[in-house]
Amino acid sequence: MPEKTVTIASRSGLHARPAKMFVQAAARQGVAVRVRVGDRPSVPATSMLGVLALGAEQGTAVILQADGPGAEEALDVLAELLSRDLDAEEAADA
Amino acid sequence: MPDAAPLPLDPRAIRLDAEAGSRDDAIRQCGETLLAVGAIDEAYIATMIERERSISTYVGEGVAIPHGTLAGKDAVHHDAISVLRFPGGVDWDGEPVVLCVGIAARDDGHVRLLSELAQILLDPERAKALRETADAAEVFRLLQPAADE
Repeated sequence: MPEKTVTIASRSGLHARPAKMFVQAAARQGVAVRVRVGDRPSVPATSMLGVLALGAEQGTAVILQADGPGAEEALDVLAELLSRDLDAEEAADA
Repeated sequence: MPDAAPLPLDPRAIRLDAEAGSRDDAIRQCGETLLAVGAIDEAYIATMIERERSISTYVGEGVAIPHGTLAGKDAVHHDAISVLRFPGGVDWDGEPVVLCVGIAARDDGHVRLLSELAQILLDPERAKALRETADAAEVFRLLQPAADE
């Protein structure tokens, strides 16, 4: 199954706001994406509670996985999102 | 997942019979409860509402977890949560919210808090019990780290 590892760039980690942006982006993908940290069980990337439960901080490597047509593209889109500092974008919006 | 530790919940920060006329009203009450236990300065409350306007803190299971923005962190004295139950429900941008967990955290403390809370709420039975209980002692029991069970 295609996988992609990405390091969380957001200053405050994958918490409520960056997590929600990630979950919403995952829901827009045409394939089911799962996410995990290390050897721990993966959770659906569309589950807000699941993603929060990962407890991923800035610098934590998370592994995205998806299968089927469009899987690679979906992983690219989501990995790109996580590699940006989404908190900095929030500050820019304010 | 991160090591489980008890959530920083002061018994005085539990209100199980709250009523709110709006989402912002509910957030303000969560903030005022954190203020009452000395966890935050009043300035934090405005950043909780600002955060919510930026993006909803609704997480599913009838639960919202209002917390301040990064800029609000300076107004936090110590990590704390507040638990407010709104038996009549609150319209949270179309989602019915019964339970609000207000969160104040310094530095990176919120990631651990959110993770622990999420692990608890991922258990639908526990989430349901939290929505339905009118007993503060039961809230404490239900908010023990999931790993204890």
